[in-house]
Amino acid sequence: MKTFKEFAVPTLILFLICAVATSLLALTNSVTDPKIKELSAQTELAARKKVLAEAENFVQEADITLDGKVYECFKGVKGGRVSGYVFTTVAKGYGGDIKVMTGVDADGKVSGVEILEISETAGLGMNAKKPDFLSQYIGKSGEIFVSKDKPGENSIDALTGATISSRAVTGAVNNALRLFEAANNGIELLNDQGGAQ
Amino acid sequence: MKLMLSVLLTAVLTENFILCKFLGICPFLGVSKKLNTAVGMSGAVIFVMALATAVTYPINKFLLVKHDLEYLQTIVFILVIAALVQFVEIVLKKFMPPLYNSLGIYLPLITTNCAVLGVVMLNIGKEFNFALSMVNSIGAGLGFMLAMVMFAGVRQKLEGCDIPKFMQGLPITLVAASLVSVSFLGFTGLVDGIFA
Amino acid sequence: MAEKRSIGKEFTKGFISENPVLRLVLGTCPTLAVTTSVVNAIGMGLAATIVLIGSNMVISALRKIIPSKVRIPAFVVVIASFVTIVQMLVKAFVPVLDESLGVYLPLIVVNCIILGRAEAFASKNPVLVSAVDGLGMGLGFTTALLCMSSIREIIGAGTFLSGTQSLLALFGDNVLGGFDGFTLISGNGALKPMVILILAPGGFFVFGLLMACVNKLAEKKGKPKAELKGCSNCPMAASCSLECKNDIKEGKA
Repeated sequence: MKTFKEFAVPTLILFLICAVATSLLALTNSVTDPKIKELSAQTELAARKKVLAEAENFVQEADITLDGKVYECFKGVKGGRVSGYVFTTVAKGYGGDIKVMTGVDADGKVSGVEILEISETAGLGMNAKKPDFLSQYIGKSGEIFVSKDKPGENSIDALTGATISSRAVTGAVNNALRLFEAANNGIELLNDQGGAQ
Repeated sequence: MKLMLSVLLTAVLTENFILCKFLGICPFLGVSKKLNTAVGMSGAVIFVMALATAVTYPINKFLLVKHDLEYLQTIVFILVIAALVQFVEIVLKKFMPPLYNSLGIYLPLITTNCAVLGVVMLNIGKEFNFALSMVNSIGAGLGFMLAMVMFAGVRQKLEGCDIPKFMQGLPITLVAASLVSVSFLGFTGLVDGIFA
Repeated sequence: MAEKRSIGKEFTKGFISENPVLRLVLGTCPTLAVTTSVVNAIGMGLAATIVLIGSNMVISALRKIIPSKVRIPAFVVVIASFVTIVQMLVKAFVPVLDESLGVYLPLIVVNCIILGRAEAFASKNPVLVSAVDGLGMGLGFTTALLCMSSIREIIGAGTFLSGTQSLLALFGDNVLGGFDGFTLISGNGALKPMVILILAPGGFFVFGLLMACVNKLAEKKGKPKAELKGCSNCPMAASCSLECKNDIKEGKA
């Protein structure tokens, strides 16, 4: 009986502590989980508005497949006219994946770029989040280069000490532009119809 | 295969656990005085990292994710790792005394080593599959060993140096670690360069 | 021992005489990893402080119930629960902080300061004193992180308190008049920030120099200097086989 007590009591107490801890966690999770989901939806909507400021509403279109990957596609609409598209693309940076949201206006030019997720080196690659860097993409179309690789009109200046991060963001924006080409097929038709009103 | 090699090299060199990610600093500073203890400790870390990944991966995938219990990850993983370490220690002590004498003595230290929990968490964060998780864990362990062994060498050289009094001990060790870490900065972009 | 010391002393010891990072050399991993910016450091410090207070209180309240055999696993469960709760709250209310602390947020669970305090203090002292000890130690940890990160951010990035808005997102947009940190070195002129200080080597370097300064001060006051004593600082020391036993022997000899 003594051995039973020696083993069973500690086990039971440990089990009780675990049970209480788990139920507390479940409770907290039930409170915070909807909040986390709501927050991420909000942030995404705010980001969409930022990269395609012209649009009033966003409509989710059918997913587009590019290079074997499936991408979500959002259409920005203003007064019945299509003002552009917003795509979220991912590229591999120095510290992991960089998730980039790109707005492309109806003319196929970049209207804005936002970084959604990034884990680059603080002070170097992390500077990619700064407007100074991201505003370089605005108004560009076709294939964008990093000026270090191919200087020219359609290139952006890399961040100091963070060429890999700069290339990654540029690659993500380029993918968004290619997605635009894929989605673009119907855009003129829609605008013609809308413009007739 | 190419992907595996790239993950392995990244874990060993460009994202070295100790020198770039600052995980497992306690053993790095505490157990790196002598080469043989550094090797023993690293061996135990590689072993536990691989084992912990092999055990936590199915637990995460088939229990936690399946039932929407991801929020229990921290608590489950730390307990699993602690239990695992204890279990391995007992098994080694009983059945493989030579191995226990070379690795086992470091095992209890590893339970609270953030490198082991860190690698498990990072595997999940990076959404690796089982094979890649294992490669990443072993790579992280090898990187840990590389840093430990290199630093043990540096520290042995430091022993005979005339160091200003206020820098003696921990301060000079940290500054030396900083210089070793600079050398690892040189690997920046290496993996992307090879596998681009 | 607790009855003789005043609560005020339990609180202040964490800052100077027993500062967990600079005197006891505990929690070095987060100290090096998250001090690339002051805002990160404050976030990490506060998160750890909350966990420390919570776990200290619960462990102290349960100290007579928890059998000593399963004490370490029980402590770990309590600590891990608090860490997870803090993590969920951070995710829900300050998501930017969750992103920038990354894996180091859940890793608070293996921060030796917390398990160390549970084992060395909370399991032997009443609830209130333990809470105060947790608060003092937590703020001491935060202070140390603040020192490290101020040096690293100012010299390494040329900014101070950059990203304040993201930390204050909890209280709405544009609090404090939209204050988002100072830019001290813009980097456009001839003077550029020393980026290496916010990279990994800079972390070790600044920590080394900070330890040297603290040791010098301690020497002046006639106190022993901070030293990583093998692993006798480690809360697992008692159950560890070789290294620590040797250390303990050496210490006794």
